[in-house]
Amino acid sequence: MMMLDSIDELLSHIKEVQSDVIELSNESLMKMSNYMEKNELEIDEEIATALQYQDIITQQLSATIEAIESMQKSIEVFSHAYKNDESLVSQNMNKLKEKLSATLQEAKDKKSRFSGKITDETIDDEIEFF
Amino acid sequence: MPLVIFVDDSETALASTRMVTNSMPIEVKQYTEAQTALAEIKAGMTPDLIITDLNMPVMNGFEFLKALREVPATKRTPTLMLTTETKPELKQQGKALGLTGWIVKPFNPAQLKQAITRVLRLPA
Repeated sequence: MMMLDSIDELLSHIKEVQSDVIELSNESLMKMSNYMEKNELEIDEEIATALQYQDIITQQLSATIEAIESMQKSIEVFSHAYKNDESLVSQNMNKLKEKLSATLQEAKDKKSRFSGKITDETIDDEIEFF
Repeated sequence: MPLVIFVDDSETALASTRMVTNSMPIEVKQYTEAQTALAEIKAGMTPDLIITDLNMPVMNGFEFLKALREVPATKRTPTLMLTTETKPELKQQGKALGLTGWIVKPFNPAQLKQAITRVLRLPA
């Protein structure tokens, strides 16, 4: 159980670091865009892309924070069940493994969904009208 | 001037769209929450074009779109989705809800301007 406590602490730390990175990244980009707006600088394709990468970084990190929170909940449920009945440990271990695998799969899916055109070079700039 | 509203929970995404559209002959209003934009529409605001993100907390882009179609003033207002999502099934879902078009992030400024010009029939 001590091992699970250490994992939980490590996950909390990663979550905290990611939240700080999101905040700093947002602040950095807002300062840059405020400067550009104040000086009425024209935005070109490269700058627009750079600004939007920040949005994608935030979404990616937020999705991993959600995955971490879900994993922490699963670990908490497992630890609670273990404390109540040690005979159920094997059964609960399997349930924990299933939940962690499902969370990981969902996180991987979100990584792909929140990447936009960055990871798929087949998507061009053409806007799709219905 | 035609009114275009942008809805995105990301301040930096809104800043990008603001910098692209500030030279266009349009009035722009921006919202970080779809429910706030919807409340203003229900209170009488009549946008000529709505550009919204899909993944947002509280009310996502599809829920916003459904709600817009229930308000008489925005039943047929052109609406574009501006999102990182590329899945065809999501595009189909949007089309079925009456979406006008789909733009994948990161967007190209010239293409976004062109799309707004086309939908609002502004002079090119």
